Amino acid sequence: MLESVPIISIIILLPLVGAVATLLLGRREEYAKYVAAAFSGAALVLTVLVTLEFVIDPSTTAARGYHDGHGFFNYQYYESYPWVESLGISYIVGLDGISLPLFLLTALLSFLAIVFSWDTKLRPKEYFGLMQILEVGVLGVFVAQDYFVFYVFWEVVLIPMYFMIGVWGGPNKDYAAIKFFIYTHIASLAMLVSIMALYFQAGAHSFSMEAIALAGTTNFSRLFQIVVFAAMFFGFGVKMPMVPFHTWLPDAHVEAPTAGSVLLAGLLLKMGGYGIIRVAIPTLTAGAHELQILMAVIAIASILYGALLSLAQKDLKKMVAYSSISHMGFVLLGFATFSSLGIVAGVFQMFAHGLVTAVLFMMCGVVQHKCGTRLIPSLGGLSRKMPVASTMMTIGFLASLGLPGLVSFAAEFMVFASMFDKWAMWLFLPILSVAITAGYYLWALQRTMFGPLTTKIDTSHLHDVDWYEGVPVGILIALIALFGVFPSLIFQYINPAVQIVTHLLGGG
Amino acid sequence: MAVVDYLETLLPQLVLIAFALLMPAMDYLFKKDKRVLSWIALVPLVSLACAMVSWLFMGVWKPSGAPIDVISVDQFSGLFTLVFLAVGIVVVLGSPEFIRADKNHGEYYSLILLAMVGMTVVAEASDLIALFVGLEIAGISSFALSGFRKSEKRSSEAATKYFIVGGFSSALTLFAISILYGIGGTTNIQALGSALGGASAPAWVQDSQSMVLLAVVLLFAGFGFKIAIVPFHMWAPDVYEGAPTPISGMLAAASKKMGFAAVFKVFLIGLLASKMQWEGAAAILAVLTMTVGNLVAVSQTNIKRMLAYSSIAQAGYILIALPVGTQYAVEGGLFHIITHAFMKSGAFMVVAAMGAAAVGERLDDFKGLGRRAPWLAFAMTLFLLSLAGIPPLAGFASKFVLFSSAVYASEAGPQWLVWLAIAGVLNSALSLYYYARVIKYMYMEKGPADKIAIPPMLKIAIAFAAVMVVLIGIYPDPVIRVCEHAAAIFTGLAPGV
Repeated sequence: MLESVPIISIIILLPLVGAVATLLLGRREEYAKYVAAAFSGAALVLTVLVTLEFVIDPSTTAARGYHDGHGFFNYQYYESYPWVESLGISYIVGLDGISLPLFLLTALLSFLAIVFSWDTKLRPKEYFGLMQILEVGVLGVFVAQDYFVFYVFWEVVLIPMYFMIGVWGGPNKDYAAIKFFIYTHIASLAMLVSIMALYFQAGAHSFSMEAIALAGTTNFSRLFQIVVFAAMFFGFGVKMPMVPFHTWLPDAHVEAPTAGSVLLAGLLLKMGGYGIIRVAIPTLTAGAHELQILMAVIAIASILYGALLSLAQKDLKKMVAYSSISHMGFVLLGFATFSSLGIVAGVFQMFAHGLVTAVLFMMCGVVQHKCGTRLIPSLGGLSRKMPVASTMMTIGFLASLGLPGLVSFAAEFMVFASMFDKWAMWLFLPILSVAITAGYYLWALQRTMFGPLTTKIDTSHLHDVDWYEGVPVGILIALIALFGVFPSLIFQYINPAVQIVTHLLGGG
Repeated sequence: MAVVDYLETLLPQLVLIAFALLMPAMDYLFKKDKRVLSWIALVPLVSLACAMVSWLFMGVWKPSGAPIDVISVDQFSGLFTLVFLAVGIVVVLGSPEFIRADKNHGEYYSLILLAMVGMTVVAEASDLIALFVGLEIAGISSFALSGFRKSEKRSSEAATKYFIVGGFSSALTLFAISILYGIGGTTNIQALGSALGGASAPAWVQDSQSMVLLAVVLLFAGFGFKIAIVPFHMWAPDVYEGAPTPISGMLAAASKKMGFAAVFKVFLIGLLASKMQWEGAAAILAVLTMTVGNLVAVSQTNIKRMLAYSSIAQAGYILIALPVGTQYAVEGGLFHIITHAFMKSGAFMVVAAMGAAAVGERLDDFKGLGRRAPWLAFAMTLFLLSLAGIPPLAGFASKFVLFSSAVYASEAGPQWLVWLAIAGVLNSALSLYYYARVIKYMYMEKGPADKIAIPPMLKIAIAFAAVMVVLIGIYPDPVIRVCEHAAAIFTGLAPGV
């Protein structure tokens, strides 16, 4: 049924219409959240329907080869319309097993972030309008199959995030907002030049990812592939973020409002990882092979360095922010193995990290909201006053440190397995992070939630989570448990698509 | 050739001149409401613009092919004429409220129309002398316009500065023309190109290459002053700051583009044979111009000065087309000229609106504009983001074509050209800093709470520019096609993609 309508475009348009409607509300600002929730919710419902109707058929997918009918990756819900014909630009969107989980994650987290922000009093109209524009951009990035369209959506994401940090952020928001903007914009521009180079070198007079990748198999020299892959890797890597281009992230997170952090860590970081696996590796396989070791080294450095930095943080939110660097390193490490197992694990880790980190940032927001501070030394014994909040926080931390039965475990375990398969004993390096991660989470938990009740802040009026905070976190925790126990619910989508990537990389 | 043919070819200029002469008389007719004058001035601008659109975009008619030997009407000139007219429309719409309290409205509009005449002559000139005459007509009108508020010190200073620099640049240009005439024996640009180039050139032309180079240097300086490329840019911020804001918009969005029309014609047709000699210098000037423009813009606190430096930077981007020197590059240059005309004139009109509402034009005055005048702030955001090259706005599309032309040329020819694209891209990132700062001031800083009333005609002008910026950004195809056709007159260059 959904195949008969341009369903992806409709899903992307819904929040856009919602954003315009929200911004045009005029003086009735208090309705902004209802409008935003309605449009974003509708997009979520449609996305869930799309997910349920998505055809998983690994046998035929492998048999059909990788360029048949609906695009390189056997895209479903494929739409293609000419846009700027003089330059060969088309509006092409489609979903495959790699993009679908992230598309679903985007719709889910955007909606939950809107619900979580129910209490926003400061300029709600603009706030909810920007949240929806952000959703449009991220949704678009995950479905675009034309480089130009991809880049447009990619940049659309920047502006609302800049405003979210700059208007609704913390005390140092000006610095953080501009740093975020400049860092990620420079990264985007590296990507832009790479896209231009790909377009002309392919000579296909088309910005379609598929056309360029097909032409590239014969037209891209080895040196060209290395240079362009390096530029793309930089562009996407800054977004992920990878060490040493990660410094914008903690600043942005510390200052961003909670929902902004949720979207930033939950979705925006995934754009970088998605770009590497969707664009850089399949299009420039020779370049990827040359830089494989570099990718692995950077991944391991991110994993360890992010974890060590987390250990040193006094601010709860900053700790979570640095942990994101560490966890996104697993994504890159999985990709760097070039094996089916590793890439599937990497994509799954993006999905898992999206769910888990959303919980963590939401709980940091709750602590900040109720206690007025996020500084670990000022907190303590909060479980006495906030049992529900501390339970949720504990589950979030445990999920993030990779407790079996929760979603991250499956992803991280598979990354380790694929790494061992490839580089054997070098596994000892990334696996060190498991201990560090457990260390900083449990230590933080002990100092904030348990022990004697803190006397450094006024705890007399402390109360537990509000409904608009508890419900989104509750939903996320349920999903974390669900996909932790049944990871194959998501694997079944990712697996066939990744086979095509590994096929392109040669071997599998 | 019959007189009628001459008249037909020159019809746009004649219409503009007729109205220009009419305007002072209208000043006496409409003593009460001076706004009527601007409506009258719009008549020739809008009707000619409609004619140009129906020719270039719809192909409804075509100008008769018989050119006078100093003027050639083609898609290139048509495109530039349209840009000038569009800027003229925005400027005239933005003017009446801005100059409400001033005298001599008739002369004001008259001068704007005459400046338009000069610019269109430059765009159509196929002869160096005609080109020079056009430059002078436009220049002299602009000097007078900059000093329109003659009782105001800043305005007079701007006019004096502009006049001296303009005179200097004219002298340099004229000197260069005389050298080229001496060597090539012709002032026709096309003929000059064949006289100076190719194996068929007589031996004494080959021997006088050093004189050609001298002419090239002089032209870089002469035109460089006109389009304000570094290091000939010093005058621009002072003049833009001192001139009445709508006129600053005209100078940045139209006069500068006139300089580019001249540069493209003279360098890519007349001096194409010695491209090897000047392409390196052009590339360095392009990079220098964009970098200096952006770096200095960062430290500006006056919005008009900031926009002036941003114009310098944008001129640097457009200048990339010269060293790259393919039809595709010229196409990108033309495209960026068009989009820049809209976004820059739009931004200046926003500043004019602030001036008309007596708010001021310093960065601080933009504090809280998002609350005080939501639509004005929104339009300004669009213009600034477009200038920074953020998709899906017009400035992104044109920069995309422009920078990609350098990447394309580097893959086919000399590899160093790719550095022009990289320099352009890095500069775009740098420029984002000061554009974003204005946006930050408008939305993130607290300002006075009172609302700002915007005069209706300024609203129309700003809305027009904003709609074009969004429209061209979302659907650039027709504009790119027209630029492609216009660039095709450079037959000596490698064809487009």
